[in-house]
Amino acid sequence: MNFELSQDHKVLQDSVREFVNKEIKPIAMQIDEEHMIPDTLVRKMGDMGFLGSYLPEEYGGAGLDMLSYAIVVEEVSKACGSSGVLISAHTSLACGPIYTFGTEEQKSKWLPALNSGDIIGSFLLTEPDAGSDAGAISTTYRREGDEFVVNGAKIFITNGGYRGTGILFATSDKSLKHKGVSAFIIDLRSHGVEILKNEKKLGIRGSYTTAFALDNVRIPAGNLLGQEGQGFKIAMDTLNGGRIGIASQALGIAEGAFERALAYSKERKQFGAPICDLQAIQFKLADMWAKIETSKLMTYKAACLKEAKKNYTMESAMCKMLASEAATYVTHQAIQIHGGYGFICDYEVERMYRDAKITEIYEGTNEVQRVVISKMLLA
Amino acid sequence: MKILVCIKQVPDMESRFKPAASGVWYDESDLAWRMNEYDEYAVEQAVQLREQLGEGCELTVLSIGPDRVGEAIKKALAMGCDRGVHVQDDAAATKDPWQIAGIIAAYAKDQGYDFIFTGMQSQDRGSAQVGVTVAEDLGYACATTLVGFAFADGTVTARRELEGGIKGIVKLTTPALVTCQLGLNIPRYPTLPNIMKAKKKEIQAIAVAELLKEEALAATVSFHPPAKKGGGIVLEGEMGTLVDQLMGILKEKTTVLR
Repeated sequence: MNFELSQDHKVLQDSVREFVNKEIKPIAMQIDEEHMIPDTLVRKMGDMGFLGSYLPEEYGGAGLDMLSYAIVVEEVSKACGSSGVLISAHTSLACGPIYTFGTEEQKSKWLPALNSGDIIGSFLLTEPDAGSDAGAISTTYRREGDEFVVNGAKIFITNGGYRGTGILFATSDKSLKHKGVSAFIIDLRSHGVEILKNEKKLGIRGSYTTAFALDNVRIPAGNLLGQEGQGFKIAMDTLNGGRIGIASQALGIAEGAFERALAYSKERKQFGAPICDLQAIQFKLADMWAKIETSKLMTYKAACLKEAKKNYTMESAMCKMLASEAATYVTHQAIQIHGGYGFICDYEVERMYRDAKITEIYEGTNEVQRVVISKMLLA
Repeated sequence: MKILVCIKQVPDMESRFKPAASGVWYDESDLAWRMNEYDEYAVEQAVQLREQLGEGCELTVLSIGPDRVGEAIKKALAMGCDRGVHVQDDAAATKDPWQIAGIIAAYAKDQGYDFIFTGMQSQDRGSAQVGVTVAEDLGYACATTLVGFAFADGTVTARRELEGGIKGIVKLTTPALVTCQLGLNIPRYPTLPNIMKAKKKEIQAIAVAELLKEEALAATVSFHPPAKKGGGIVLEGEMGTLVDQLMGILKEKTTVLR
């Protein structure tokens, strides 16, 4: 066993960190306040290769491994959770399923523009009445000649506001439950796709969370992803991989808050000494760091297992659960260490606290992760 | 055309340094390492020249040190160098600038480089001797502390920074060695696709014993933090006396009053 990053991974980590410190960190507060990641930053992240890190070079990706992808999302999220989830949802939930389940023609057609960041990807599964119970979706499709016609509504779609390329899930017959679900590649600028709203949120405010109405949207038959009826499997498999991205995002948010709390505890003096001399603060730091390290080990392990094409379902559920709970815990304690200043927006840990919460909810709530883990234990 | 860029890996300057047990250098454990800042300008300028000269031009990056300097070499390869040379030396930190320059010159002498780029100094030792000594060893034209570089019609036009912000222009014919200063350029980020491409580039390993011919001319005898300063001067007494004392100090020790 070797727990050290390779030289190649260190070079990558260092390069991403350098980019993040110069290009993202200085505007993270602005991204939160303006509810918007500047297009210029999305372009720069595309140029850096952040939006196709583990996809093969032949489709315009960087051709790196899953661990590299995890490191990219982690480092970006240390500064800005919104930018982190943009990368994660785009890569894991849009590029990922096209690469895994797409035909050669689909991959050549859709992946290069996604991997370069010219087009931003999203994943349209969730509906007002179908969240954790994804088999209960009621957006329908029917075949008409060379097209599929889709009707319904989708909500909470990360990156939806970019109106790029989506992976859309719809059912041919709701009574078939998950067996009736199919997946499609959809151009979100198609006729009949309407943005109902971009939601206002507690955290990750720079990231779009979009509600769509789909009114007689015509999708070319060639955009069916996988086979008809295979949609639920595609969704579950995709979310399985996506959890590594969300774990990395959560890990980054936790590390970002920890860095600030540690530095602050050395600077802030009370009772004539830095507060890090107080055991009350020392114990907090120890608990925070232990949770971060545990999450990191599990996240990197899940990434390495996926890369090695081994079963990683349990590890991806565990890393997502551990890292998101580390993120909410660490950001909470980071505010406590900052005292009143932590409650003030200028100190940034309050933003991280708000950004952390969603990581316990999306891409499978932590309750669902526990179902996944326990099912495997008891199988 | 052949270009060489020489880089050094140094600790992150925000690290907390403590003297090593030897007392002549810092303790290298628990430090984060990165490419010397001035060498980043050198790599960027070399890559820009490489792009200007196009096909048929080869850019080699060289570094001396233990295994970890592979990271700095890989970064340079991801920035656009074509191949790497790693002179393996676990004891590079104990060598003086004369020896380091001698190692580089011994490697470069038969290679026919038209240009050699390096930083004006390292951020840790800061001797600023290696570049100029390599130029002297090889008989190359040399200009230091570059803030501007252009190459056309076989001539290098170098803009140099002099004391007090004054600039000078120097023209050099090749083969030439230049040392690079802050302000020369903005080093590019290694992109993910270029990091991937760099993995396929060759890094030649050479044992330092094959290149080291020189004895050290200088030896470091001590490495220590500055002595802690006193707590300042507290003036006491009547207002008039205080003013006189303060005026005296300002006149004597500063240029505020004459």
